[in-house]
Amino acid sequence: MNFIYPKTVNEAISGALKMFGENHVTATIWKASVAVLAASLGFVFYMLFTEGHASFNTSSDGVNWGSAIATYVYFALISSGLTIIASLATVFGFKQFYPVAKRCIWLAIVTLIAGFAVLALELGHPFRMLWAVPSGMQIYSPMFWMGVFYVIDLGLLIVKFYLMWKEDWDSPFSHFIGIAGFIAVVLASGMLGLLFGSMAMRPMWFGSATSVFFILSGVLSGAAAIVFSVYLAYGFDTKNMPEQLRSLALSDQLPKVFATLIGIVLVFLLTRIWVGLWSNQDGMEGFVALLNTPWFHLEVWVCLALPFLMMLSPSMQLAPKWQVTASILVLAGMFIERLQFIVAGQNVPMFKGTWMNSVTPYTPSLTESALVVVGISTALALYALGERLSNLSAAPKESIEAAGQLARG
Amino acid sequence: MAKWGMVIDLEKCVGCQACTVACGMENSRLPGEMWQDVIFFTEGTHPSAQLKWFPRPCQHCENPSCVAVCPTHATYKTEDGVVLVDWNRCIGCKYCMIACPYGVRFYTDEKPLVAPDMRKVLASKDDHSWNPPWKMPDAREDWKHGVGIQPHDVVSKCTFCYHRISKAPPGTPDLDPQDPKLREFTPACVVTCAPGARYFGDLSNPNSEVSRMIGDKRGVRLLDQLGNKPQVYYLTGDGGAVPSSRAINKKV
Ligand code: SF4
Ligand code: SF4
Repeated sequence: MNFIYPKTVNEAISGALKMFGENHVTATIWKASVAVLAASLGFVFYMLFTEGHASFNTSSDGVNWGSAIATYVYFALISSGLTIIASLATVFGFKQFYPVAKRCIWLAIVTLIAGFAVLALELGHPFRMLWAVPSGMQIYSPMFWMGVFYVIDLGLLIVKFYLMWKEDWDSPFSHFIGIAGFIAVVLASGMLGLLFGSMAMRPMWFGSATSVFFILSGVLSGAAAIVFSVYLAYGFDTKNMPEQLRSLALSDQLPKVFATLIGIVLVFLLTRIWVGLWSNQDGMEGFVALLNTPWFHLEVWVCLALPFLMMLSPSMQLAPKWQVTASILVLAGMFIERLQFIVAGQNVPMFKGTWMNSVTPYTPSLTESALVVVGISTALALYALGERLSNLSAAPKESIEAAGQLARG
Repeated sequence: MAKWGMVIDLEKCVGCQACTVACGMENSRLPGEMWQDVIFFTEGTHPSAQLKWFPRPCQHCENPSCVAVCPTHATYKTEDGVVLVDWNRCIGCKYCMIACPYGVRFYTDEKPLVAPDMRKVLASKDDHSWNPPWKMPDAREDWKHGVGIQPHDVVSKCTFCYHRISKAPPGTPDLDPQDPKLREFTPACVVTCAPGARYFGDLSNPNSEVSRMIGDKRGVRLLDQLGNKPQVYYLTGDGGAVPSSRAINKKV
């Protein structure tokens, strides 16, 4: 899309307002997601003011963390994955990825904000958190460190985006911010994994592998998000894309990276299931229950194995429609994964006794579902805003050359 | 400094749940949301199956995982070995509920456990989550120590009746409810237990009755393999039992 991009804050604000009257894909996403956001957020606020968090289906003697936490983890890890993908160009010198770097950083900002927004609405006292966490200094808590690293991550992302907006791709400072951001995001997503992985009393989560899995599956969901977003921005037609972006989209590097990431995640998931079913350890029963749900099979076979094969097949891997299909399936699959991971880890009661004779059931309430919608529409609205107000496909000149070489093979 | 702990003799416990009720009254618990619960389960199979039970307060662990995970330090361990929640700091993230192996923590704002919802019938006009007709004198309410009627959107749990035990004369080895001088410092559940199955005292004092009983009668701790090291011990004797495994069979 060839927009005229605003240069000042005032122009940006009026640009955002004007988008309501414009007619293109981005404007449609903007209008639709703002409307959905207003409706879902309105509903959530109404429920929180009238019923409070009692409008959630979570409970003290069953599933304490429900779909809202899953949504937070989903978005936080998409954000981390996007940042890591941007680092391919900004930190590791794979210049062919420059055409998506700025878009990745913007998407990382918006998905993290969406995640934080959902988390804030889940917490009992989100404002109290602002002083109680820094003053508590509970350095043993994985949640404390996760918060510290994600806040640093968000700050660095915003600085990096500002620098990119100013066309500063390669100054030492910009480079430093890139490296610092990469370190912060690995620590943040790894710590998010440890938040679950440290829980010896929840054997389905326990272990350092959870942390590695979070980082790698984050990269996969980030990859899916960037593929989807690039096609979305150009009306699902590579002909509309600027030269260097088209060559990246049409090279076989992208599907290869995509397939590798799906493969890694599948290995993690299937080995985890193996250990879960094989082990006699008390508390692993949840894996049997997991295997009995249709969601699990939808995730593994339809949302992961199928795109894996698509991205390996020489006849499909380069076709935009299959790339888009694969990315949508992966994004859906990763959402199922986050929800299942979090719920299944909690619904084997700690010991037998009254009221707790089987796997505790949990289905998100209407309010919790609306909160998921709040997250998705926040991310989409902010994405459209970025698309309209800044050239997300901007890249340094030399990357055009690198991309050209890639296209020529 | 004392290290308060509890011993529950399961051979004496009759499963009457008077402790649950006493705790509910003492601490203004919402009906159904019991800090001190008696858990029933079965051992063995038909025709020789037996109904068993064990009372479960917060275990006030020596290595409390709830304290370590709390990002705000709202949950903390006092010098005298009691684990408490500061309601002025708690942000309601529920991580402690995830990390507690004993399921003894409660978040206030949930679907009501019994109907009608007492939070609506006896609605509070201030920060409290409800306004029960029975409650401790306002002067005793102490949110820093998680004592009193719980405010909204925080997590609560058994305090070992901190408002009572913290007033006990220093150096007392056992808070014996039979002793009129100590009765008001003894946790409500211990005072009320009709068969006298509950004992409360100083685990750091080798001569306290609780210490001796744990040694003499082989006190066991719930889910000890997790390493939280509860300060609540169970004496199983010939008839009592603590559940040794989780609720469901692997082949569900
Ligand atoms: S029983 Fe649970 S809430 Fe009580 S101290 Fe131990 S870990 Fe904490
Ligand atoms: S819910 Fe409250 S007490 Fe529990 S971990 Fe969070 S802040 Fe700490």
